[in-house]
Parts: sequence; C-alpha cells; structure tokens
Amino acid sequence: MIRVVINGKACTAEKGESLLSVARRKGIDIPAFCYEETLAPYGACRMCLVEVVKGAQEGITTACTLAAAEGLEVLTQTSEIVSLRRALIELYLAQAPRSEAIRALAQRYGIQKTRFARKVRPDDPLQNRCILCGLCVRICHDVMGAGAINYIGRGHFTEINTPFYEESAVCMGCGACARVCPTQAIAFEDIVQTRTMKSWSGTRVPLHACSKCGRHFAPAPFVNYARQKLAPDLQQTPLRLCPDCRSREIARKAVLLSTGAAVAD
Amino acid sequence: MDAAQLDTIVERYPGATGRVLGVLEQVQRRAGYLPRDALEYLARKLAMPLSELYSIATFYSFFTLEALGEHVVTVCMGTACHVNGAPRIVERLERLLDVGAGETTGDGKFQLTTADHAFSLTSARCFGACSMAPVLRIDNRIFGYVTPDKIPAILRQFDWEGNHHRNY
Amino acid sequence: MGLATCGIAAGADRVYAALESAIRKQEHNIQLRRVGCIGYCREEPLVNIHLPGKPLVILHRVTEADTGRILHAAATGDVPRDLALCRINAWDPIVGDKLVFGTGFEDIPAYETTPYFAPQQKIVLRSAGLINPEDIDEYFAVGGYTALHKAITEMSPADVVHEVIISGLRGRGGAGFPTGLKWNFTKEEQSLRKYIICNADEGDPGAYMNRNEMESDPHMILEGMLIGAYAIGAREGVIYVRAEYPLAIERLTAAISQAQRHGLLGENIFGTDFSFSVTIAGGAGAFVCGEETALIASIEGQTGRPRPRPPFPAQKGLWGMPTNINNVETWSNIPVIIHRGGKWFSGIGVPENSGTKVFSLVGEVECVGLAEVPLGTSIRTLVFDIGNGGLRGKAIKAVQTGGPSGGCIPASLFDTPLDYAHLTEVGSIMGSGGVVVMGTETSMVDTARFFIGFTDEESCGKCVPCREGLKHMLMILDKILAGRASVADIEILEELSGLIRKTSLCGLGQTAPNPVLTTLRYFRNEYEALVERSRSS
Repeated sequence: MIRVVINGKACTAEKGESLLSVARRKGIDIPAFCYEETLAPYGACRMCLVEVVKGAQEGITTACTLAAAEGLEVLTQTSEIVSLRRALIELYLAQAPRSEAIRALAQRYGIQKTRFARKVRPDDPLQNRCILCGLCVRICHDVMGAGAINYIGRGHFTEINTPFYEESAVCMGCGACARVCPTQAIAFEDIVQTRTMKSWSGTRVPLHACSKCGRHFAPAPFVNYARQKLAPDLQQTPLRLCPDCRSREIARKAVLLSTGAAVAD
Repeated sequence: MDAAQLDTIVERYPGATGRVLGVLEQVQRRAGYLPRDALEYLARKLAMPLSELYSIATFYSFFTLEALGEHVVTVCMGTACHVNGAPRIVERLERLLDVGAGETTGDGKFQLTTADHAFSLTSARCFGACSMAPVLRIDNRIFGYVTPDKIPAILRQFDWEGNHHRNY
Repeated sequence: MGLATCGIAAGADRVYAALESAIRKQEHNIQLRRVGCIGYCREEPLVNIHLPGKPLVILHRVTEADTGRILHAAATGDVPRDLALCRINAWDPIVGDKLVFGTGFEDIPAYETTPYFAPQQKIVLRSAGLINPEDIDEYFAVGGYTALHKAITEMSPADVVHEVIISGLRGRGGAGFPTGLKWNFTKEEQSLRKYIICNADEGDPGAYMNRNEMESDPHMILEGMLIGAYAIGAREGVIYVRAEYPLAIERLTAAISQAQRHGLLGENIFGTDFSFSVTIAGGAGAFVCGEETALIASIEGQTGRPRPRPPFPAQKGLWGMPTNINNVETWSNIPVIIHRGGKWFSGIGVPENSGTKVFSLVGEVECVGLAEVPLGTSIRTLVFDIGNGGLRGKAIKAVQTGGPSGGCIPASLFDTPLDYAHLTEVGSIMGSGGVVVMGTETSMVDTARFFIGFTDEESCGKCVPCREGLKHMLMILDKILAGRASVADIEILEELSGLIRKTSLCGLGQTAPNPVLTTLRYFRNEYEALVERSRSS
C-alpha cells in the first residue's frame, strides 16, 4: 500500500491503481462518463480532469489514467479545472441534448444552457443522448466477447451501431451495453418471446422460457453463453428457471432439508 | 472478389504486423472498393468481429464501401493546393462532370460518382506533390499546375466526351 | 533523369522514354539512369548530364522535344546551354569519398553560386537526385552501409546511443525530442522482443520531404534503422508509409529485397550475432496515425484512436513490446552521425538545434521545392534567398509552418531563425518542415478555417474537446467568414482554443487550435474587419 494526497487529504492506495478509483473510494466526487472498473482506463470523456501538483508529470491530466504512486498529490476542484469541466459540459449539452444525466450534471455545475449549436436528430437510434464514451463498445467486445457493435466513421461523424446498420448476428441481447451507458441512450424492449435491441438496428433476440412457469425471462443466446461459463456439473439446473421459480425451488429444498425429508429433485 | 482471390491476398501477409490494413488496401485497390461479401469473408478468415472490420473500413479515408466510377478524379486539398486555387478546380470539375460536390463539402470531403459511372470525383489530403500545386490525380496519374481551363483537355485523355448540353 | 513523383508528374517519365528510345536507336555510347530528386521542384523535369572529365551539368525544364539535341550535344562532348541550370564540379556525399566529376563549362553557373542552392547544406539529401534509388551498388558507391559496418563491428550499442546523444539530433517529425535520449528509453527496457518503427505517415498538408527522402535514397533510411536497431536491441522494424505514396513503397520494397540479398538485412549481419528484418505497413488515410499510439494501433489492425500515455511506446508499444518510433528524416541522419561522429554533427546548425532540416517551400513563392538548410537559418533566407520571394513578384504576407499543428508567422517576423525554440516562441512549431508561403491576397481567417476544417475532418473522434470543440470552432469560423458573427464569437473561439489545447487526449487535438491562435495573435484585424462588416450590415 502507498499514500497519495487528494485535495490535501491522505489516502491509501494500491501502487498503480487508477487515481479515480482511489478518490471514489474516499467519497471524493470526480465526474466521469467513460470509466468502468472492469475495463481498462480509456481517457475519452475528459471529465475527470485533475491537477497533479506533485508527481512525475505535473499539470492537468485525467484521473482515470493517472496511476497512483507514492507521494502523488492532486487537486480535483481548482477554479481552472471547474471552468474547463463547465466548458466540456456545454459541449456535451450540445452533443446530447436529450440526456438527463448530462442535464443533471450541468445543473450541479450551475450551467443553464449551452452556447453551442445543439445537434438533434429526430431518428437518432441513441435518442440524442449518446456522448460516444465507448463503454458499450468496450463492454460488448472486451467483456462479453460478442463484438456486436462498434464505432462507425470518425470525428464528429462517429456513430455507434451494428455493421451495415443491420440486425446483428452476434448480439446476445445481454443488455450489458445499456447497463453501462452513463446517459441511458440505449433502448431495448421485451415483447413476449423476443427482445428487440432498438438502438442496434432493431436486432431481435429470442427470449428463453422458464422450464417451470413458461415465462420468457432472459435472452436465449445469453443463457447459453452463461451456461458455457459454468462448471459442467452446474450447467443444467439453475439457468433453466426464471429468477422467481429459482428462489421458490431453493426455498423448497431448504424446507425439505430442515424437515429431514429426502431431497427429491 | 471470390474466396480464392481473397485467400491469395491474405497469404501475402504471413505476419500480424500490418496485416489487416494491408489486406483491406489490396482489396480496395483491386476491386475499387470494399465489397460487403469480402468484408464478411475476411472477418471470418482473420477471426475478427465484423463490426470491427466495418469500423476500420469507415475510419480510414482510403477505403470506400461503394463502387467508384471507372476513372477516379482526386483533387488534392492540401495547403499549397488550397492557396493556389484548389477550390476553383473542384468547382469546375463539379460542373463538367455534373456532380454536386458543393453540397457535401461541409466537412471538406466529398465522393461523388457521375450518373453513367464513368467518373468519381473525390478529395484527398495532401498528395505530397505540393511543388506543382494545385494538383489532381486521375487514377494513378498526377497532373500539376492545373487551372480550371486545363481540365477539359485533361478529362478528354480519359475518354470524357464533354457535357454537350451546356456551354462552359 | 530525375524520376520522383513530382518529376514524373511534370513529364519526366515521357522524357525518359524519349531518351531511352533515341539512345537505343542511335546507338549512342550513353548510359541512361534513373535518379531521385535534387529538390528544385520548380525546374522539373531535371536531367543530370555527365561527360568524362567534365562537371556534372543539371539541365532543367527538359521536354521530349529537347532530347534529340541533348543527345547530339553529348555525342560531341557538349551540353545545350539554354537548358543548363548549373554545374557541379565535385560533390561531397559526406559518408563516402568526395566525388570529382571534372572541370570545364565555366560559362554555366556553378552549383555553389546558384541562388536556390547556395544557402543550402545537404546532409539528409546528400545523394538525392545523384544516385539511382533502385540500385544498391550506387548507394555503396557513396559510402553506403559503411556507417552500419562501423557501428556493428567497432562500437557497442551504448557507444552508438552515446554518439547520437552528443550529436544533439532531435526528432524531425514534429516535437523535437532528443533522439539519443529516446533511444535510451527503449534500450534500457528489459524485453526479449523490441521493435523500431519508421514513421513515414507524412500527413502535414504542404510537406513532402519524407516522400522525397524515401523515393530518392531509401537505403539511407534502412541503414539508419539498422544502426538504431543494433543500438536499441531490436530485431524487427516496421516502416509505416501512407497509402498516398505508392512510389515510395515500391522503392523501399525494392531496397529491402536488395539489402536482404546482400546480407544487410536478415540473420547474422556482417557475420555478427546481430539480426534484423524490416516490414512495410501501409497507412490508409488518417492524419491522426502520425501520433505514436494511433500509429501502433493502425499497424496492429485497429482504428487509429490514440490511447493515453503513459505507458509510453518505449515501455509498451507495438504488440505490447518496447518500441522506438522515429520519423523518416531522423533515421536519415543516423548514418552520417555514426560515420562523422556526433561532435561533427553538433557543429552544424545552432546550439540546441544541431544539423539541418529539409523544408518544403510551397504556396505562393517563386521557387518551390525542397530546401535543406542548417537549423537556425532565418525564414527570410529560406523564403527570399532560396525561394526568390513571392510568386511572380507578389508581396508576401505570412508563412505557415508546421502543418495543421503549426501557425502562421507574419512577414514582420521573417528574421526568426528556423529552430525549435524560436518557432515555438512565435506560436508555431517546426513540425515536419512544411513552409507554405501566403501572398497579401490570402485571407488569414480563411487560412485558419482551412486548417480547422482539416483537423476537424481528421479528428479520430475519441475525446470530446477535439471531436466536438473543433466542430464548433469550424461553425464559428464559417459564421465569421459569412459576415454573420459578433465580437462574442471571437471570444468563444479563443475559449474553445484554450479548452482543446488543455484537455485533448493526444497531440493532434492539443495543437489543433494553433492556426487560429496565431492568426488571432498576428492578424486579429482581419477577424475584426469581418465582424465589423456584419455589425454594419
């Protein structure tokens, strides 16, 4: 363990740990959109700017990509940093005018409106909320191993979608993309037996039915994927049941065990 | 392009270094664009998600996803060409080829193909032939010191028959 | 016959074909050879003619119609005077023995007194336009690969790095980081695999020196890389060349296979345990791939989106291995430094800025071309002595140096020396050496718009200040040019410039506002005039 100083407060950290993670553990508020503990630091959203006052590279940098080192001292809320963040928020407000998350942050930073031209597309599959943080692309590729979506184009023409803007053959419908999205830009809905990833060119994924109650409760390709990740002796039982039936099943077994009756499957 | 042709191209890159872009570049040069079935085949062959290959194809300006015309007219938009009048060259080409680059030059980039598919008009960043600015390239030939008035004669070398409806 | 891309575009290939067929038909005892480009691009096509015992004479603006009388004159021991640009009696290729051509033709101006060449000092372009780039024997003839032999057989890797450090050579790709120190980072890393990369993704619009270096003297680059690989401990090298340079790729490919045949690439070079191989990787049209981490991503087959540093490529580069990246022109200087010694090299130029730099002098200037001058030479010398002033006598307003990351320098500051510190002080950068001359009629607001349009188009889109900020800067510049802007818009432009500079992820973004910042600094009146116009209308 080493010691770093954030806003004058001493904090303990693992050597090499992301400074953003150290700060968050300490309850120090640093906004960030493109950071997720399970993924490698990406440095794209630029919101987690901090000023290094003592360390290898002094000056303004991003906390997510800053590795904790003994004696490192940073400030997270100097007037310069706040004004840079405010300008960045204005850019985000123009880029993703329908994002409530961005608007909420803007309010916290006392920004009423952006000076920049707002980009609104009525048919935007990402609901005019996407800020291109890339978390969905990375979670889909790096963690889920599906690679269903990616960046398309470059510069401010960049979009995120499926190749050729057509239904994806490899999307498992797991919804990890929607879960990590900081601006709730990704839309999907479940109707009876089918999940439709509305943001991803309407990709349709069949839902798996519970073997007990028959309710369609999870995307079938994802159930298969999850099953493969389990040890062979666990691959059968738990995932055939929906969460409700599974807890009922576990409770039933517990009752039977406590009453000494033989467990019948 | 068929699978055998694509296999031959991939075989020319035994190591991973520079392979993906190298293969796509060869396909672009041979076919004139990146056909969809070629991308789908290569995704399997190179064991990459199709989304990644599609992302690459749309990131680099050398690649196109649509077939270009028989002759590709590329106007250099480098600094030296800009100060020496490249915008006027583009204007004249638009009129002569009857395509409307002006409508899409908001991002400084355009790619337009004539109705008969004989010519495509595109822009490029610097060719590195700045000493003869402004320059344009048709297929693999570079023409230097271009003026708007020299363009019809240049195009005629590539079987351009002119626009007879209007008088330029 | 000079046959580089611009010569060919000027018609050199047709002149070559005419000379070739005439020589064959008339059975002249004349050897016709291809060479690269000597850099006087305005005068292309260029033909060098060497008659026994006579100086080498450079003929300029040669057309197919001239070939008959050139050959006829040569057969009688003479050259057509009206085509003669200058004569070279003897030449110092720096690495090898002095080449003595001969004497005579006193009425033709000497190379040394020709205004375009007189202020120049050729180190990088020492053989460009004089040797056949497709023939390794000609490279041997000017002392080629002797520096490599010396490095491998007489020096330790540490000696080589030391020599480069004392030479004071700084990176020629833009940032100007000391090359020897950079080499040392990768050298010190403990790893079984290391890479070196030659960055030949020359992307600055208006700069084409790297193209000429590759097209005219490809072995020089290979030799530089070989020496660097030996010093750093790398066995594999990559040359990353942009797709727009097919001739450079062709000549480098030929040079690599010749070097392999001569055992200069491959296993156990010069019978030592040093082995090295080189691969060419093609770029595909993305300016951002000149940035080191984006370049590496591109070679690995990904989109060119830069990643945060550290880790630096010296620690974790290509395929996760320690990697050293230098620009084409940096590698080109290495054989000279090893052959003549770092101390000799450090005596050229000015303190902190040793050696020469090749500049591409283009735009509205009379004598366009590639000029190699010692660092510290003034802009005035470059533009007026070498360039002979504005095109057709026009007055000059400014020069733009350093490409899209650079800035515009007004004529009043033309005494500024071309060195790293002074260019930074006036708000520009050295960059790769592009110098675009602008006449008094050029609008500086339009120039700024041109560059922001360029970087906006080339932004990878990963980080928000560069992706969104440049887009809004472009919109504001369009508004100003259309006469619809107010003073407040100029202030927003300045604020955005500061934001992009301070918060962008990579060097492309951090330097992108420079063209706006410098034009605002020196030509603010042009912005204000446009704003004023919109107020009064």
